[in-house]
Amino acid sequence: MRIEDLFEQMKKSIINGNKEEAERLAREAINKGLDLNEVINKGYVPGIQEVGRLWEEGEYFLPELLTSAECMKSAMSILEPELVKSGDKRKTEGKVIIGTVEGDIHDIGKNLVAAMLTANGFEVIDLGADVPLNMFVDKALEEQANIICLSALLTTTMIGQKKVVDMLKEKSLKGKIKVMVGGAPVTKEWAERIEADGYGENAMEAVKVAKNLMSR
Amino acid sequence: MEIVILDEFMVDVAPDDLIRVLGLKRKDYPKKEEIKEIIQKEISEIKKLIEPKGIYRIIDYEETNRHPIFENAKKIALAICTIGSKLEKRSSELMRENQMLKGLIYDAYGSEAVEQVACQLDSIISEQARKMGFYPSKRFSPGYGKWEIEEQAFIFKILPGEEIGVKLRSSFMMEPRKSISFRINFYNEPVNNGKKSLCAQCKMKNCPFRKEE
Repeated sequence: MRIEDLFEQMKKSIINGNKEEAERLAREAINKGLDLNEVINKGYVPGIQEVGRLWEEGEYFLPELLTSAECMKSAMSILEPELVKSGDKRKTEGKVIIGTVEGDIHDIGKNLVAAMLTANGFEVIDLGADVPLNMFVDKALEEQANIICLSALLTTTMIGQKKVVDMLKEKSLKGKIKVMVGGAPVTKEWAERIEADGYGENAMEAVKVAKNLMSR
Repeated sequence: MEIVILDEFMVDVAPDDLIRVLGLKRKDYPKKEEIKEIIQKEISEIKKLIEPKGIYRIIDYEETNRHPIFENAKKIALAICTIGSKLEKRSSELMRENQMLKGLIYDAYGSEAVEQVACQLDSIISEQARKMGFYPSKRFSPGYGKWEIEEQAFIFKILPGEEIGVKLRSSFMMEPRKSISFRINFYNEPVNNGKKSLCAQCKMKNCPFRKEE
């Protein structure tokens, strides 16, 4: 089989949300001794990009996005350890620290954003829900992260997003570590008011915003 | 009045209702049947994780904190209900295990399930109000309209939420997440706010507590 055909199959496995196929092809790539970064970037990434396009055009909905993100994660969980073994690592779009702010125990929306960021090539460190605010900053510094994503689902916990932005200002890290905010009561206006760097209305929008922030 | 604790509620969410919760109701969504099948397969497992409970207490207006939303009510019922924490824990676990769609379905089921429990508890309380000779209002939850989210503290002052496993966090969020707190005002005169009754709005057509069509 031509390598281009294999890449095409990989792309299709992601678009169709076929986890077994995505995993099988990943193993095949390893067995054939292919350049795994090339496999990811020319095989799987175009698949998730196409899924994003289909979402934007209204052809795909949340279930398709999630199923494709699952496939991507499954394939990456096979490929990445092999990359590490060979002394290489996956070229990522950037490193993201994500979590739901202190006092807030909602995690579904945050999980969706984390999954879509991961599927789209970001290295995501998920701190979970009810995360102490200083932990976002400490972890971002420790991991040399590019972006902190803050989720809040209540008007009473949204203020935590502002506090994290203020903490970064105090430490003169504002702009060096970008902040993205999201969650049901969060709006673009709120994001601007607290001087966050980005706001994502949904998981796919968050991916776009994150990519945009990385290119600045 | 004494505190009443209940644990007999009927929860039965149809795949069609979850399709709506998941935002997939539109006619041209091609995979609707496929998703319904996935939901159907999971329902028996999901139901094992649901532990519905409710607690309520009816107090006199004089026992309230005199918030304007209680004005003109003779009595007020305060209530909390939940489906417990097992389902939401499993939903989060599934997501961590890279089963995102399944996790989302579990969560959506929980949202609908706790609504059904609230609907039934509402019916029980409203029926009691009528038996007592009052006219019950619809149910309202803190955080909606003129009743601020901070008023959760008042509900939990009157009701021991922990008796049904619900605690209030400092952010006024309840834990488990799939919990609903609400009030029903009892009036001497019929109340008419021009909207359909909650039972008429409720999707649970076979609910044993359904009063109106």
